[in-house]
Amino acid sequence: MTWILRSSIAAMMLAGVPAYAHHGWGGQEEAVTSLTGTVVEGVSLAGPHATMKIKVGNDVWDLTLAPPARTERAGLKEGLIPVGATVMVRGNRNLDHAKHEMKTIYIKQGSTEYHVYPDRE
Amino acid sequence: MAHVFAWLEHSPLGAFTRSLGVWSYGVINLAHILGIILLFGSILILDLRLLGAWRQVPLAVLSRPTTTMAVIGFILAVCSGIPMITVKTTDYIGNPFLFIKFPAIALALVNVWLVHRSPAWQAHFTRDLLPAERRRLARGAAFSLVFWLTAITSGRMIGYW
Repeated sequence: MTWILRSSIAAMMLAGVPAYAHHGWGGQEEAVTSLTGTVVEGVSLAGPHATMKIKVGNDVWDLTLAPPARTERAGLKEGLIPVGATVMVRGNRNLDHAKHEMKTIYIKQGSTEYHVYPDRE
Repeated sequence: MAHVFAWLEHSPLGAFTRSLGVWSYGVINLAHILGIILLFGSILILDLRLLGAWRQVPLAVLSRPTTTMAVIGFILAVCSGIPMITVKTTDYIGNPFLFIKFPAIALALVNVWLVHRSPAWQAHFTRDLLPAERRRLARGAAFSLVFWLTAITSGRMIGYW
């Protein structure tokens, strides 16, 4: 009976690992990058993570936000930041620089600030 | 292929799923996981029995409830999986795991069909199986585990690509 108990505990500990990896920022740079661009696709609160797209120079960046409920708690509702608005964002960009993708910590539009991941600022 | 993905994303089902609120993806994802639990949990018990575990349990006693629960799990997984993939389908363009997952499911279903139409499977409801019949079903069980585990593994990895 003890081996069942022991292997169950080991399995539960192992099961926690991928969940941590998924929500960790393993694929992103340690350094924080700041970008200023114009919104081409506003905040979407659908899917596993909220998203938006901004254009910086000639590149369209995919901004990955927090899970939808957390993003909404940070004040970012759909339609709040209109397409064409200028925003400044900070976050950790993808380790693969060929991808213009960033996990977003903070967004500022005009004087309005959105703290998506305050603990990472 | 990108065309098909864009069509799925812009389908009425995609728009409807996206409109359901901030918890909807999590809830649909939960239904998908529950479906997979029912499907694979049942399949694992049946397949291990076909591979020689728990010989004291008559196969016909085990095969009915496990098959029923697996069917319910599969239906739940499909009904939750389709709306989930329509939410942001174009995000999956170039994701290789989709092209492992869906062929693996297709192979798993072909295997189910082949096993169920085999004389050995038909016979197990009414009598003890001959060694050759047991080997036939054990082979089907081995294929089943490989195909379903491949489908589940590649399905999980879609989000990590």
